[in-house]
Amino acid sequence: MAATFFGEVVWSRCRAGTEDDDDDDDDEGERDSPEDREVRRQLARRREVRLLRRQTKASLEAPLLEQHPCSAFIVAIGANAVAFASSFVMNSGVWEEVGRAGLWNEWCGAKAAADLAPAEASCIFYRLRSGPSVLLCQCSCYVAEDQQFPWLEKVFGSRPRRDVQVTVLTCRHVTDYKSPESPGSLPTPFLRALKTRAETEPPGCPPLEQPNIAHDLPAAVLSFCQVWKVPAVLYLCYTDVMKLDLLTAEAFRPALSSQSLRGLAQDVPQSRECLKRLAATDEVQSNIYT
Amino acid sequence: MASRYDRAITVFSPDGHLFQVEYAQEAVKKGSTAVGIRGTDIVVLGVEKKSVAKLQDERTVRKICVLDDHVCMAFAGLTADARVVINRARVECQSHKLTVEDPVTVEYITRFIATLKQKYTQSNGRRPFGIAALIVGFDDDGIPRLYQTDPSGTYHAWKANAIGRSAKTVREFLEKNYTEDAIANDSEAIKLAIRALLEVVQSGGKNIDLAIIRRNQPLKMFSAKEIELQVTEIEKEKEEAEKKKSKKSASS
Repeated sequence: MAATFFGEVVWSRCRAGTEDDDDDDDDEGERDSPEDREVRRQLARRREVRLLRRQTKASLEAPLLEQHPCSAFIVAIGANAVAFASSFVMNSGVWEEVGRAGLWNEWCGAKAAADLAPAEASCIFYRLRSGPSVLLCQCSCYVAEDQQFPWLEKVFGSRPRRDVQVTVLTCRHVTDYKSPESPGSLPTPFLRALKTRAETEPPGCPPLEQPNIAHDLPAAVLSFCQVWKVPAVLYLCYTDVMKLDLLTAEAFRPALSSQSLRGLAQDVPQSRECLKRLAATDEVQSNIYT
Repeated sequence: MASRYDRAITVFSPDGHLFQVEYAQEAVKKGSTAVGIRGTDIVVLGVEKKSVAKLQDERTVRKICVLDDHVCMAFAGLTADARVVINRARVECQSHKLTVEDPVTVEYITRFIATLKQKYTQSNGRRPFGIAALIVGFDDDGIPRLYQTDPSGTYHAWKANAIGRSAKTVREFLEKNYTEDAIANDSEAIKLAIRALLEVVQSGGKNIDLAIIRRNQPLKMFSAKEIELQVTEIEKEKEEAEKKKSKKSASS
């Protein structure tokens, strides 16, 4: 331990190593008990990403986009993006559920992936019945770093097709946005876009400025698409309200001008009403902030 | 860089930031929106009402509080911090009245609240208050006042302002629509406050609370019915304006 000038106590590594340290490193693997190994195996099994058939616990044999080839794949990640997709995209037409991703990590709580009841699964894939070449994913759970690549493989497959147009919608807190202005003076919420080289259509909003980057699953999807030369665009909404909020969800509207979403949103006033209903039901009563 | 200088309130970062104060301003944004308007003969405070749990007594969830007969305040941010600040301000109002036999001026009590907040940005072992406040009232000279304070302890006079979630959107609306005509009479000032809130409030008039102070009169809280009437009038005026616009464009 060490004390700083300001009276904080910080932990610092001891620079005077002892001989015992080397011996400890060599013996670490051997000191693992069978129980430790079993716990690690069980943990690895729990963290597996599985794609399940609709309303059952049976796994899909083939990657999703190989089972359901499509020309447009929309991925909505986070509460606001999911609400936007539900209200503006899924409000018109009839959508059927074609699968769900069962995954567990420390952010999901105590339930194992296999134990999730169908109604509680939070990464669900839909297909437009009237236009089966459109697939949509609503992902409101956190996909951990080690689970992102398995998720991508299970959805896209090991050799994804290049004729699918991928659109990703997600939110980020405005304090993560790096700019010369202070976060308080930025006109939140605002939309920025990042696209792969294969995507030639200009996005419906300004591009994401350097040095800002995408994070987590949206970044993984975009990187995967960039490597496999799949046209993809990420619409990133910076907001100061990460929970479901009307203004933030509506900030995604410029994305409706893109090729894959154009024509899907038919009735905008009805979509707004649908969004208001979603926001009202989602509101969690809390007394901490007024 | 922020992570090395944001744990202790009394530490500046090399580029001059007090991160705890800035983080406190983020806490303000978690509160629902409040708007204040200074009219010619009236001051108006409008707030977005939070949803109340079924079993909770609605009267105990208030964003607009009386500080004295002629001064009231709306806040956004941490509820418990607001309670402490309001109690201290109320005591100060009475103490001032007993000591100098005059009610506080709006500026005095605003300065008191701002000084209190500033002290908490400069003391070790404490954290800043996570609230911003809009303080309105009339002084003895009959002039309406509107002040805003924030967690850093600054305060400024405003003609109209908003705090809390989506405050920037509301402020932009006010900048476009706060004109001499808009505050020409009391009812126009009240409508301006409600219109500003309707830009961001998700479920319309039933989620709005409104309070006004007129010269030489105590605070008046609007009932849900009165607010609904105002909202209906605003919607009618909007429809008529749109009809006029479409007639004009059709004739041209």
